[in-house]
Amino acid sequence: MSEEIVKIKGGAAGLQLSFAPQADFGAIEAELRRRLESGSGFFLRGTLVLLPPDVLQDNERTALQKMFHKYGLICRVARSEAKTAVKTVKKQPEQQKQAAPPQPAVQEMVVVNRTLRGGQEIKTPSSVLVCGNVNPGAQIIAGGSIDIRGTCRGLVHAGAYGDTSAFVIADHLMPTQIRIADIIARSPDKQEKTERAERASLKDGKIVIEPIER
Amino acid sequence: MSKIFVITSGKGGVGKTTTTANLGVGLAMRGQKVALIDTDTGLRNLDLLLGLENRIMYDLIDVTEGRVPYKKALVRHKKYETLFLLPTSQVKDKMAVNPEQLVKLCDEMRKEFDYILIDCPAGIEQGFKTAIAAADVAIVVTMPEISAVRDADKIIGELGRADKDTIKLIVNRIRPQMVEAGDMLAMDDINDILSIDCIGQVPDDVKVVTSTNRGEPCITMKDSQAGQAYRNIVGRIMGENVPFMKFEKEGFLARLKHVFGM
Ligand SMILES: Nc1ncnc2c1ncn2[C@@H]1O[C@H](COP(=O)(O)OP(=O)(O)OP(=O)(O)O)[C@@H](O)[C@H]1O
Ligand SMILES: [Mg+2]
Repeated sequence: MSEEIVKIKGGAAGLQLSFAPQADFGAIEAELRRRLESGSGFFLRGTLVLLPPDVLQDNERTALQKMFHKYGLICRVARSEAKTAVKTVKKQPEQQKQAAPPQPAVQEMVVVNRTLRGGQEIKTPSSVLVCGNVNPGAQIIAGGSIDIRGTCRGLVHAGAYGDTSAFVIADHLMPTQIRIADIIARSPDKQEKTERAERASLKDGKIVIEPIER
Repeated sequence: MSKIFVITSGKGGVGKTTTTANLGVGLAMRGQKVALIDTDTGLRNLDLLLGLENRIMYDLIDVTEGRVPYKKALVRHKKYETLFLLPTSQVKDKMAVNPEQLVKLCDEMRKEFDYILIDCPAGIEQGFKTAIAAADVAIVVTMPEISAVRDADKIIGELGRADKDTIKLIVNRIRPQMVEAGDMLAMDDINDILSIDCIGQVPDDVKVVTSTNRGEPCITMKDSQAGQAYRNIVGRIMGENVPFMKFEKEGFLARLKHVFGM
């Protein structure tokens, strides 16, 4: 998904943002504002948001920080550790390998801000958030969970690499087929449009669907 | 400067050419200067619908390959003098024109016309890519049945991928009785899936066929329901706020859901 302007990675410290290399600042700002206003789950009040180092001008950074503060989030620039790490690796590869502490499991999130139409596919080891519909003939294969802020009529596979704790949430959950880890369920042949948001997860080796509030 | 529309669908036989001919005549009837470009090379029939087959001297391929200037290949409509057809070749195939050539041609034609309508071939291959290349607006034609709506969805995705973001929908061949009986998709179901701006709902109408055979699109017929629907679309294209015709009953939606049969 190269076209995502903003990517959000949830780490132990907070939410790490990264921006598409070509995206201009106006687009990034608009996109973040839209997400903040849509109240999409990650941006809980009090969360620490880390901006990518070395990509923003000072005034741009201040503008984003102000915006996040307005929504009750804490916003900082991440330290550019990655770079130093790379340098160290080059100098003393072996030592670095031993010294590196076990990385905390970082869950990356792919955000899709449009309707996925027939024939379109998202395939990723991370989790997926869709702000739009997933139409019949479209499919999402995610290593993590899948959250659809719209109607899901396509094929969704959460925990595609074996994560049995993965789940699928949609405002209207009426997929052609739903898979979690290696368990498959298909839709009933007749399906009514669901009124409430629902969540599909694995319980005792079976896919169960239950209504949720959101 | 003209506005360039491509009329496309994915699925074949849903009414692209019929729509192109009717909208072209309708815009010309309202005094607009219009060019219709047939890009369905090898399977052309826009000329037939307009009754212009016997006047064709040169075609699109002659123009794109530089043998004649485009003005030489244009066929003026016999009745509507501001309507012109750029026919395509019946012997060549879709590979004969590429997107760059069509963009170049349309850039040249833009100066002369108020509207340029491009009739797209079925499918999503080269012919489709060529047809959409120059368009400012894509009109997706579909019918109230699952396979046509699925293909329209796919085409909308492809248009998005090609950065064609202004997309309008026309639903053709609606049969009110079948919709009512739950045997055909209703507008709400179609909008639910496709979620793009609908500018036309055209009923199934035998006059479309009889008028086709006479080479005079049904938009000219006062007593044709489809003709009325096309006149409404022309108004909407020209920026008027025309209400939709009523030929559906309310309150049957719930029964319809199963038609989508995932
Ligand atoms: N509203 C309508 N009512 C009745 N018949 C219609 C209607 N619209 C189209 N038709 C008929 O459907 C057939 C297909 O129409 P048309 O050729 O316009 O489709 P098309 O999408 O251009 O097809 P192709 O994909 O082959 O180019 C024609 O026979 C036409 O007369
Ligand atoms: Mg045709």
